[in-house]
Amino acid sequence: MKVPVEWLNEFVVIDVDIEDLAKRLTMRGLEVEGIERITPRFTGVVAAAITKIEPHPNADNLSLCSVNTGKEELTVVCGAPNVSVNAKVPLATVGAELGGGFTVGKRPVRGIESYGMLCSEKELGISDDHTGIFILPDEIAPGTLLAQSPIAHDDVLDISVPPNRGDCLSIYGIAREVASTLHQKAKLPVFTLTAGADEKVEDHAGLTIQDLAACPRYILKLIKGISIRQSPFWMRRRLTRCGMRPINNIVDVTNYVMLELGQPLHAFDFERLAESRIDVRVAGERSTFRTLDSIDRPVEPGDILICDGSGPVAIAGIMGGENSEITASTTNMALESAYFNPFSIRATARRLGIRSEASLRFEKGIDIDNVGYAADRAMFLMHELAGGAVFSGQREIFERKEPRTIYITYSNINGLLGTHISHEAVTRALRSIDLHVMKEDENGFTISIPNFRHDIGETSDVIEEISRIHGFEHIPDTSPVTVLKAQKLTIKDRSLNTVREYCLGTGFFEIINFSFFSTRDIELFRIPDDDERSRCVPIMNPISRDWGVMRTMMMPAVLKSMAYNINRGAKNLRFFEKGKVFFQDGPRNIREETLLCFALTGKEKEYSWKEKYTDYDYFDMKGIVEGLIERLGANCEFSPATEPFLDQGCSADVIIDGVRAGWTGSIRDDILKAYEIEQTIYCAELRFDIILQKGNLTLQYKPIPRFPQATRDFSFFVDDSVPIAELVKKIKDISPLIVSVGIFDMFRKEMRSVSIRVVFQSYEETLTDERVNSLQEKIIGEMTNIDGISLRA
Amino acid sequence: MDISGLREKIESEISRIANADDVKQVKVSILGRKGIFAEYLDKLKTLDKDKRRDAGKAINDIKTWADQRVGELEKQFEEIERRKRQAASRIDITMPGAAPLFGRKHPITLTLEEIIRIFSSLGFSVAEGPDIETEHYNFEALNIPSDHPARDMQDTFYINPGIVLRTHTSPVQIRTMEAQLPPVKIIAPGSVYRCDNDISHTPMFHQVEGLMVDKNVRFSDLKGILTIFIHEMFGPGTPLRFRPSYFPFTEPSAEVDIGCVICGGSGCRVCKDTGWLEILGSGMVHPQVFRNVGYDQEEITGFAFGMGVERIAMIKFGIDDIRQFYYNDVRFLSQF
Ligand SMILES: [Zn+2]
Repeated sequence: MKVPVEWLNEFVVIDVDIEDLAKRLTMRGLEVEGIERITPRFTGVVAAAITKIEPHPNADNLSLCSVNTGKEELTVVCGAPNVSVNAKVPLATVGAELGGGFTVGKRPVRGIESYGMLCSEKELGISDDHTGIFILPDEIAPGTLLAQSPIAHDDVLDISVPPNRGDCLSIYGIAREVASTLHQKAKLPVFTLTAGADEKVEDHAGLTIQDLAACPRYILKLIKGISIRQSPFWMRRRLTRCGMRPINNIVDVTNYVMLELGQPLHAFDFERLAESRIDVRVAGERSTFRTLDSIDRPVEPGDILICDGSGPVAIAGIMGGENSEITASTTNMALESAYFNPFSIRATARRLGIRSEASLRFEKGIDIDNVGYAADRAMFLMHELAGGAVFSGQREIFERKEPRTIYITYSNINGLLGTHISHEAVTRALRSIDLHVMKEDENGFTISIPNFRHDIGETSDVIEEISRIHGFEHIPDTSPVTVLKAQKLTIKDRSLNTVREYCLGTGFFEIINFSFFSTRDIELFRIPDDDERSRCVPIMNPISRDWGVMRTMMMPAVLKSMAYNINRGAKNLRFFEKGKVFFQDGPRNIREETLLCFALTGKEKEYSWKEKYTDYDYFDMKGIVEGLIERLGANCEFSPATEPFLDQGCSADVIIDGVRAGWTGSIRDDILKAYEIEQTIYCAELRFDIILQKGNLTLQYKPIPRFPQATRDFSFFVDDSVPIAELVKKIKDISPLIVSVGIFDMFRKEMRSVSIRVVFQSYEETLTDERVNSLQEKIIGEMTNIDGISLRA
Repeated sequence: MDISGLREKIESEISRIANADDVKQVKVSILGRKGIFAEYLDKLKTLDKDKRRDAGKAINDIKTWADQRVGELEKQFEEIERRKRQAASRIDITMPGAAPLFGRKHPITLTLEEIIRIFSSLGFSVAEGPDIETEHYNFEALNIPSDHPARDMQDTFYINPGIVLRTHTSPVQIRTMEAQLPPVKIIAPGSVYRCDNDISHTPMFHQVEGLMVDKNVRFSDLKGILTIFIHEMFGPGTPLRFRPSYFPFTEPSAEVDIGCVICGGSGCRVCKDTGWLEILGSGMVHPQVFRNVGYDQEEITGFAFGMGVERIAMIKFGIDDIRQFYYNDVRFLSQF
């Protein structure tokens, strides 16, 4: 809400500087988001009175104006039609600057010397009006430097009004808050509306309301013989500074009073109201209605319609109809000032997608007690600006409500706030915003809630008012009085900490992607229709198709992150992401699961003067997965990959206790190409929730053996049909004295040759050579018994 | 027995030592089992008792002298050898070291961990909720009915009518209170979603919600706790202010601002010339929220707060574009 301080000053005496005022409002909950300083763009412009107008001897469309600046009489050549003797006009004297580098000089115009120029509003940069010379308000004396007059200066506060404070959507509403902070009372404009016409409204117009819940108050007033024209400068200036476009005097007054008092108004061409009547109805069936912007709007049951004798003339509180709007030829006008049900207006405005200044105010709830005053104020201004004669009286229907009251105790207040605010200070604070104490006892009091405060309904609402008037800065900082409890850390949180530490230690960069992806990602990854990852949760109103559904896999986004970096020259990447995936298990059944995702590409380092780095391979990724799962207290196995998006040759499923807990390996190069990646990526996606179930973070010490180890190395030829993991497992099973079986060499000539180091260890004794030798024989015996394994000599 | 020539014999042997190898040879030739001294000591056995004692003493004196002399030379030549070895294997200590592999946490994680650390130390436990929420938990239970103007403040992603991507972490408040009786002391970190995508908005971002409910929890306690938090997070001298605001689920509601870290309060583009940066929203739990979860709002009170993790990270690290968090550019990530 834009609030010109010059206007605000009419309601309250601002005796502090603007920064201070802004701070006070902000600390009251009306955040001042900015202060627009309006300053003149011109210099050297003075107010001058026109004393004589003569035709220009050499040009028909020019005149010679003699103007008096209070000090001297000058002759100025002028081409505008709207000058008249005695009018006060802005004179840009010789040497004046009008912005944009334009300096006024003494120059001949068609042979006659012009000592300066008379300016339009646009030339002074104070409005867009360039239809004629700016006729200055009467109160400005000749000789006044316009750059120093209020015409060219103002401060406009940009106030963010909270959604529940519809009462602050007017200059008067803001003034009420300002007055409260300055220990004043906001004053309403004082005026006397005199009926100039003999006619009474009651004799010439009818009014009915079908549903008082939809419209509990409606006032109809009439004025005849008006002339539609441009509004005076002061009104146009205020409207403009509030962000509204001046239109004509009648429309401008309705907007002006709305900004001033918060009451939206509507003007009808009275001659176009059939049967000279208004019936407020609630639509019972669907129809269409052409609003004044020439658009046919659908009307739905429940919309409030303003009708004349033949049908709708306005959608209440939203927009008037083309059939009754004010035109340049309107002479008799009917004014509506009403209160409409906020919920109804909101529903209609929402459906039609129209959020006007009027509907905004109706939606938030206006002051039902102010409807009459606002109507009078508008009629007064219309008469001032457009002439004519106001009919006496009005048509009005008003369903009055009992004022609301709330009982509240002092201990409620100080108990919730943690304060010791005195009884007197409490009631004084409330009085300053028109919440008056009606009854009082030693514990508390009953207050009445004015009808403009739709946000106050229960005690906490009142305490809020007290707290903000008392000032948050005067409420102490305290420590809660509460039972001490150790904070709980779940297994999941502890495991996640372990995961993050592991990733940090193993050199992964953590990344975070959005939780959405596209069904195209599922297609590119060749996920079959019956896979749960094809059952994704769609978003009804996505930002884009790329983010159209909730992700069921994390890898696509990780690939995109890799592509982003590779395209920017970073070819060696180690990424890790923890995140959620989402599955549509049933029509109303959505499941969320946590995944851990890893990806490697390139090599550990691009170069080193010391060592040579080779490209990452399957075993680098596998080692990461094994290490992590072991760290989380579970054991995993690897079985041939079943994922359709992996290279079958160098990928695997990750199995924990017989349950598939994820996959690891390299993505097919045709898929990588679709993500614009041309280098191999090794990655893994692990289902964190399954690892959690199978894992165990409990740490248990095992004594360190006191006896020496013995070591034996073996070399076998191993056929490709025998997986090495099986061979290792078989050796381990031979004796509990075998504590470690490691592969220290592998090469391939005609056959695969594998070298194995076995470590023997007893916790009870030093193993004798004979004992170890017999185990060695047993290993050789059992291994060479397996088809496809033979001892290498 | 004549031992008069022994000393000269030894001296001539020692005098030919020119390097470490010579030391070894001479050691053998004079002190070894078949060395000069051994030879003389053998001869001693042939002398009678008196003469044997005098001659033995004389030989021993010479041997002590010879031991010492050879020892000195040995050290001297060892040092020369060490210098030679070192000179042969000299390195340029200014060559770059072999950097170990070390990962990075995402700045959002770093910020979240710091927030959680501070509130954990104040006795808050971490709670979680689903990202896909019902409108009931996301709005209605938080006193935001469907025709409430506050729904204008949020642009919601819908899954279907009634199901949304949570627009804030506040639903965790409701889920926690429904699941347990007071006292409640939780923080709820998580992803939240709004239909916005520009330089200052991403469609997904992170929030941390806080809730404390008990008998006699006061607004002054909210101020106390959040003041501790801000001084931990941004440094003990950080100026802050509590400013009245509006949230449908708290009353009174307070926005918390810290003094602008960019301009120090004098006003700049980042703080829109106010000198203050909005850092979190907070307030006393609205009685309607308590009624919605079946708590007795006459008996208990509480406060709630919520903050945007990206915003805090941006202020803490001086990041000016929120989208940086989601490009996953290693040139960005490697800075944390
Ligand atoms: Zn600043």
